Amino acid sequence: MSARPQLVALTTLLVSAACAVGSDAPVPAVPASQPTTAATAGNPPADSRPPGQRLYAQHCLSCHQADGGGVPNMQPPIAGGTWVKGDPRALALFVMSGGFGSAERKDSASDNVMPEFRQLPDADLAEILSYIRAKFGGGASAVSAADVAAARANLK
Amino acid sequence: MRTTSFTRVVSLTSALGALAAIAFAAPAMAADNDGLTLAPGFSATVVQEGLGAGRHLVVAANGDIYLASRDGLVAMRDKDHDGKVDETAKFGDVQGTEVRIYKDWLYVSDNVGVYRYPLKKGELAPSGAKQVVVAGFPMERQHADKTFALDPKGTLYVNVGAPSNSCQQKDRQEGSLGQDPCPILEKYGGVWVFDGNKTDQTPANGRRFATGMRNAVAIEWNAAQNELYSVIHGRDSIDTLFPALYNAEDNATRQAEEFHKIVDGGNYGWPYTFFDTKLGKRVVAPEYGGDAKKEPEAGKYPNPLVAFPAHWAPNDLLFYTGKNFPEKYQNGAFIAFHGSWNRAPEPQAGYKVVFQPMKDGKPSGAYEVFADGFAGEMADNNPRNAKYRPVGLAIGPDGSLYISDSQKGRIWRVSYAKK
Repeated sequence: MSARPQLVALTTLLVSAACAVGSDAPVPAVPASQPTTAATAGNPPADSRPPGQRLYAQHCLSCHQADGGGVPNMQPPIAGGTWVKGDPRALALFVMSGGFGSAERKDSASDNVMPEFRQLPDADLAEILSYIRAKFGGGASAVSAADVAAARANLK
Repeated sequence: MRTTSFTRVVSLTSALGALAAIAFAAPAMAADNDGLTLAPGFSATVVQEGLGAGRHLVVAANGDIYLASRDGLVAMRDKDHDGKVDETAKFGDVQGTEVRIYKDWLYVSDNVGVYRYPLKKGELAPSGAKQVVVAGFPMERQHADKTFALDPKGTLYVNVGAPSNSCQQKDRQEGSLGQDPCPILEKYGGVWVFDGNKTDQTPANGRRFATGMRNAVAIEWNAAQNELYSVIHGRDSIDTLFPALYNAEDNATRQAEEFHKIVDGGNYGWPYTFFDTKLGKRVVAPEYGGDAKKEPEAGKYPNPLVAFPAHWAPNDLLFYTGKNFPEKYQNGAFIAFHGSWNRAPEPQAGYKVVFQPMKDGKPSGAYEVFADGFAGEMADNNPRNAKYRPVGLAIGPDGSLYISDSQKGRIWRVSYAKK
């Protein structure tokens, strides 16, 4: 058979296109209708969501999911856990430090380790942590930027 | 395919074949196909359920079904040939993903090794002692399932997935650059070959057959072509790791799940590159200097035979050689897509079985959705709430296709209603 490239449109997805090609054939570039640039990718259009919800969606949601339920075997739930409703500074320190190392979590049900979030400013972390405590922590108290700053002082 | 060429020959030429023909004639097909949407002319029945976190499965020449699961191994028999399992036996001590039949052995795996149990005539659950084929793979958490394929000589091809997303200096850390060269590739991220006829091997007895494969869960020997194939899990999180280059929609759609013929010495590009379905070409990964369009050195890595959509999670591959399905399915590829998690906040996708027409080992047309509707409504867009997730595929001796589920341990049998 010929190994000519074939483009397969998926009717159920808006964007996905699957490209079936022979391994020995060059693949012609499919022009990107909306080229991604740093300007558009890094600065989404104005968002009416509260900052905590928006920042959660940006940094946390793909792993912990919109409902805070995590993904079985992959990432643990936030909702229903003890961290989210516990001491705000301990929570801030945990999120900035990243998840437990493999030796500490050998009994964990989750495969993936949370990365560090110390790169985020105090104010953004405070918004995220306040959001998850309100939504997934049974209405636990808000976390202030000062709490995050105090926790940051204990970062290793 | 899970029924090896050896067992297929047996099923067609021995008394067992007659048994299988009876089994095919008997079952009544549920009118609603258990809620699944199937290609025209096909129908599905539930043969067993409630088996826990099911993974791959295999059907022996006599119709006995063996399921690997995270909860242990299960053997099943349909004694009265009504299409429903009526004898179920747990056995062994292996909790894992793969299960295959080669000659008179049932090969299984967990995260650290491959083992085998003797299959004795008439016996459902193997009574014989487990043998270690190869053991001692490092205990990992990410991409640890040691799925494998066996060729007709008993060569064992083991998927040793990379315990990493993209070989960053800090795994899954925003902005962390890639380790170059990626040291993970020395022991992981490829296929290692062993002699599957030998026992008590260690990883040191193996040879790296192919590399640059993040996690080749769906790995299969194509007997008609005499070649190895895989559909490889592509990388996650281009948006959260490199937000200046990619947004959430990009992450949900651009990194292909790559279908390749796996050749000796092949390098399939992980972690340095990924195949971008939006651009229709391979690009350098952002961890390695990619700018969302920069291409690797021409010809260094093969393009996929088919670039499937991002995050669909290809968990099993099977080349159809049964006698029940119409001609167009012969030697074509069925792929079980377990379904995404990393597309969130975009709607999750996958959760279906796809058919890829093949001719002479190459795609011969667009892929088709073969079976869908596993996930149901999936509340909150969370994979946890999927009703079912297809994870394993096998051919029965009558040519029907068996599909296993990881949410509730359900097994379906899909047959073509001959007109």
